This record gives sequence, structure tokens and C-alpha cells, in this order.
Amino acid sequence: MTAIAPTRVTSLPEPSGRRAGLRGELASEWTKLRTVRSTWICLAIIVVAGVGLSALVLSIEAGRWVHLAADERALFDPVRSSQTGLFLAEFVVGVLGALVVTSEYGTGAMRTTLASVPRRTSVLIAKLLVVGAVVLVVAEVTAFASFFVGQAVLLGQGGTSLPAGSTLIDQVHAANVPVYGIGHPGALRAVFFGGLYLVLLAFLACAIGFILRHTAGSISTYVGVLLVLPLIVSILPSSFANSFEKYLPSNLGLGMTAVTTRTTDFAGILLTPWVAAGVLAAYAAAASLLAGWLLVRRDA
Amino acid sequence: MCRPVGRSGLLGSIHAEPRALPVISAVGLSKSYGSTRAVDELSFEVRSGVVTGFLGPNGSGKSTTMRMVMGLDRPTAGSVTINGVGYHDLRWPLREVGALLEAKAVHPGRSAYAHLLSLAQTNAIPRSRVDDVLAMVGLEGVSRRKAGKFSLGMSQRLGIASALLGDPGVLLFDEPINGLDPEGILWVRNLLKSLAAEGRTVFVSSHLMSEMAQTATDLVVIGRGRLISDTSVENFIASNTESTVLVRTPETERLQGVLAAAGLRVAPGADGGLVVTGATAVQVGEAAHAASVMLHELSPQQASLEEVFMDMTSDMVDYHGLTPDAPVDGAPAGAPSGAGAEVGR
Ligand SMILES: Nc1ncnc2c1ncn2[C@@H]1O[C@H](COP(=O)(O)OP(=O)(O)OP(=O)(O)O)[C@@H](O)[C@H]1O
Ligand SMILES: [Mg+2]
Repeated sequence: MTAIAPTRVTSLPEPSGRRAGLRGELASEWTKLRTVRSTWICLAIIVVAGVGLSALVLSIEAGRWVHLAADERALFDPVRSSQTGLFLAEFVVGVLGALVVTSEYGTGAMRTTLASVPRRTSVLIAKLLVVGAVVLVVAEVTAFASFFVGQAVLLGQGGTSLPAGSTLIDQVHAANVPVYGIGHPGALRAVFFGGLYLVLLAFLACAIGFILRHTAGSISTYVGVLLVLPLIVSILPSSFANSFEKYLPSNLGLGMTAVTTRTTDFAGILLTPWVAAGVLAAYAAAASLLAGWLLVRRDA
Repeated sequence: MCRPVGRSGLLGSIHAEPRALPVISAVGLSKSYGSTRAVDELSFEVRSGVVTGFLGPNGSGKSTTMRMVMGLDRPTAGSVTINGVGYHDLRWPLREVGALLEAKAVHPGRSAYAHLLSLAQTNAIPRSRVDDVLAMVGLEGVSRRKAGKFSLGMSQRLGIASALLGDPGVLLFDEPINGLDPEGILWVRNLLKSLAAEGRTVFVSSHLMSEMAQTATDLVVIGRGRLISDTSVENFIASNTESTVLVRTPETERLQGVLAAAGLRVAPGADGGLVVTGATAVQVGEAAHAASVMLHELSPQQASLEEVFMDMTSDMVDYHGLTPDAPVDGAPAGAPSGAGAEVGR
């Protein structure tokens, strides 16, 4: 049997690649992300809220320095405090990450997307990469701006840099609030990890979006993980809570942005920066794998 | 079974010209959502070069079938192929299959242009093609406006533009005339026909038989997810309507007796006429002439497609409106209901 092929002259040039896949889908996702206003609003809020809150917190801490007890002074970490704004920005990151997925499910556009790229894992990976890249840029800008603005706020309120090689004892006895430079051991890593923390959370939000497919449900779940989970853990028996607390996403963020192992070791509350980053990355990876598995298995 | 080619295949064709091999081919296609059997062992074929209407009442499984063709919903059983391959194996799907599944499936804050551009990028379709299809559907003037502000008609046009984007040989439209004004309906009708005339395969769903009568050449009719008919519009009417003849005479009672004696089924019609079922005008005229009955009118009646469709699916409709005289449940398939009884009025 020979098929009677319809005779049609197509106006389109031949595509160069082998098949529709990740490359085209990456370009498509970038187009989709940049052509809705909510993206730019979210990104602006991340920067403004992140930097603004950090400056405010450091300004308050600087004013309180003279009244602080020795143990409080020992715990003071001007780098981590300068990243406080990220813990507000993280909610906006969640909205952005979830919306990239759930807005398509809400309108039915996800069907068009999956029909254009039938290899569904490419769709998931492209969304994660594009959202991740955009959040990386904006979150790092926010983290470094928060750091430099924060240290400037401290300097403006009489803060002084501790000389190289100074110890915890020096910090406790310092007359003025201490200021760290970006060259301070661990400072660069802590600030960079501040931005990375938001990227990993964006992955998490995106994955939750694929799993739940509803905007409100996804954002509530994300907020629940960051805000409600710590509350639940805190009412557990303390022996139990202590071993769990450091694995909560928000505490992983605190661990990631700490400069000194001193604070991270404190009462075993936080994990060290690299371990914290690894655990949060594992959460994001696990959620993404579940999202991918469901995406391939479920009806669109 | 040793006949690989089906009813509408090359062998045993009822058409004068040989038919092309089917482009879309569904075999035993079934889909259940929990206990709902949305599509039930559906087998049909769609060929290129003509518009094929996909008809069924609300909830009969048209959209579900289309989603399975597009590889979006996984069949519970059976399979469907496009040019012999499953949708997932198409290398550049938008260049082979274009679809309008839902009109408003666009982010309300994104412009029509950006929406189409994002689709074009997935399948290496040049940017210039976006402007081309926008012009084809008449949206070039509003292409930078937010799609959320579009009327339903404009949204349908945007959906059609996205289907045409990859210049595909196969087109699926799920209720494309929904929400269109008469001018828009005419535009879609002509567009579908011209796409088919270019040799493309056009598969279009509707629950309006009358619309399909004016647009489609072939028909796939389903009810409650099951195939009712897979044939041409012509055949569909011919094999599903009994021709009736309306006859008027001053001697109604005598003619009724004469026709009944001649073995014809005759019943009183509207306005004192008689309706003869299953007979031609020639038979009725000759019988009357033989008995010397004078006739005032003798006219063959053709059932409209809508009436045929309603008749066929009357026991297949899931959601009856609450009309006081609606049949309670499961009217026998053959029995004409309200609309059927008035065939040819
Ligand atoms: N995702 C789903 N989950 C559960 N049930 C579904 C789903 N999609 C469709 N159905 C059910 O399957 C049946 C067929 O629905 P479908 O939308 O395919 O019909 P349709 O012929 O397109 O109807 P309409 O003319 O109203 O568009 C209906 O009973 C519907 O409720
Ligand atoms: Mg439908």
C-alpha cells in the first residue's frame, strides 16, 4: 500500500535541529516569562524588599549594640543580618516560581505548551532553568546590594571594622558595632549563598506548581513549608524539635548565610553553610523529580 | 479477519474516486476518568483533503478524543496515530499538527504576539511567520494588546492563528465557531474548506449538525463516547433518513385507504395533508393515479441533518434540558422523538 501524500507547499524553512526539545523550549520560556508584567513586579519587590529590610534591620541592630549582653554580641553576624531581607523576598520568589507553572494550568495554556514539546521533561527542565537563571541574577544582585548597603548603614552609625585576625573575644569587647568587609573569611560565600537560597526556593516553588497545578494551593503550600512548618516543629517536644529544626528550609537559609562556624555550631541549631545548601538543594531536587514523574504520568 | 482496510479504506470504497489513506487513525480508543467512561472503544479514520466533522452531543467525548490525538491525555486502551505515528513521536509537532483546543488558553496578561512567538520558538518557526498568521486571522492591529482583553471571537481567532503557526498538514479544531458572529462563522467555514482544499487534513468538532452539513464532507458521529457513524455527510443522510412524501388531496380519507392498501405507511400530517413514509413520490403518485384520486400537492421531504442527528443521539444525550415533555429516560433508539416526528414539515 502506498499512501497518497497530500501535495502541499510549505512556506516555512526547514528547522535545523533534530526535533523540538530543550533549546527551543528554553527560548519560549524566556519569552513567556519576560512578557507578563507580574514577573517584573515580583523581581522589583524582591530587590526593594530584600535590600530595604536588610538596611532597616542593621540600622536597628547598630543602635542596640551598646545595650547587648556578651552572648548576644558573640552571636552578632553582620553578614547574615545583612541578608535578613531575603527572608521576606523568599515569599515573592515563591509566587514567581509557582505562577510560571500554575498560570499555564489555570488558563489551559499548559496543553498548548505540552503539545508543542511532547517531551514533557524538557518543559519542566526549561521552566526550572529559566526561572532559576532569572532569580539567580536578581537574587545575587539583591544579596550583594543588601550586604554593601547593610555595611554602609553600620558604618554610618559608627560601626568599625575589626582588624584581621581578631577573635570572638575582640568582637564581644568592641565598643562599636563590628563591620565586616566582603574579604572577611566566609563573607563572600555567605552573601553568594544568600542569592542561591532564593534560587533553590524558586525551584521548590516551581516543582510545587507542577505537582499541585493550582495557583492558590501551590502558594499556600509554599508559605506553609516556610512559615507554618516551623510553628508545628516548635510545639513538638524540644528533644524532638531540636533535631528537626535545622532541616527546616528557613533555618537552612540561616545556615547558608552565616559567616562563622561559631554561630552555625551554636547549640546545634543550624547546619554549616555547605551542608545547609546541600540539604536545601536535595529538597529542591526531590520535589523536581516528583514533579517530573507526575508531569510525564498524568494527563495534561 | 483478513481485510486490513476498513470501511472507508481503499477497498470496498463507496466513493467513485479512490480515497486517500487515513491520516488520523483511532483504533479501540478508550478513556475512563474514574468511573466515567468518556470515550469507549472508538475507532475511526480521518483522511486528507476534506473537512471531517466530529459530531456528538455535550459530554459525548469529543474534546477528550482530541486531547488523546494530541498526546495530552493517555488512552485507557487503544491508540491513535497521525500519519502512522503517535503524537509523542512527531519530531516537530507544531509543523505537523495544529490545534485549537480551548479559545482562552492564553495568559491574560500576555500579548497575542508574545504568545505566538513563544509557541513559534518551541518548533524553530521563524518570527516572520507570527506576523503572517496574525494577518491571516485579522488580528494584526491588536497583536500587542493583552490577550485577556480579547473578546471570545478574537480569542478564537488567536487560537486559530496558533493552530496555523507551523503551517501543519493536520488541523484539529474543537468547536471553532463558538462565540463567533455570523461573519466570523462564515470566515471559519471558508477557512476550513480552503485548508482542506490545499490537501490538509481538517478535523473539526461541533455539536451543530447543521453547521457541519455546510462545512464537512466526512462525518464521525459519537454519542456517550461510542461511535455512531463514520461516513460521508451524503451517506449519513441517505442511510439514516427514510424519505417521506407529503401529499395533499381533497379526498384525504380515500387516499389514505388507497395508499394503505398499496402497502405504504401513511399517517395524517400537518394541515390536513398525509405523510407517506418509506416511499418515493413516484410510488405515491402512481398509486393515487391508479385509484383516480386528485392530488393538490405531492412533494418529497428531506430530513435536515439536525433532525437526523437529534434522532440518532436522542438516547445518547447525557444532559437533557428540563423541558416538561422531555422523554423520561431511554427512549427507544428507533422511535422518533418530538423533532423526528416532524421530519420534513
Ligand atoms: N479531566 C476529566 N476528568 C474527569 N472527567 C472528565 C474529564 N474530561 C472529561 N471528562 C468527562 O468525560 C465526558 C466527555 O467529556 P468531553 O469534554 O470530552 O465531551 P465533549 O464531547 O467535548 O462535550 P462538549 O460538547 O460539551 O464540549 C464528560 O462526561 C466529562 O464530564
Ligand atoms: Mg468539548
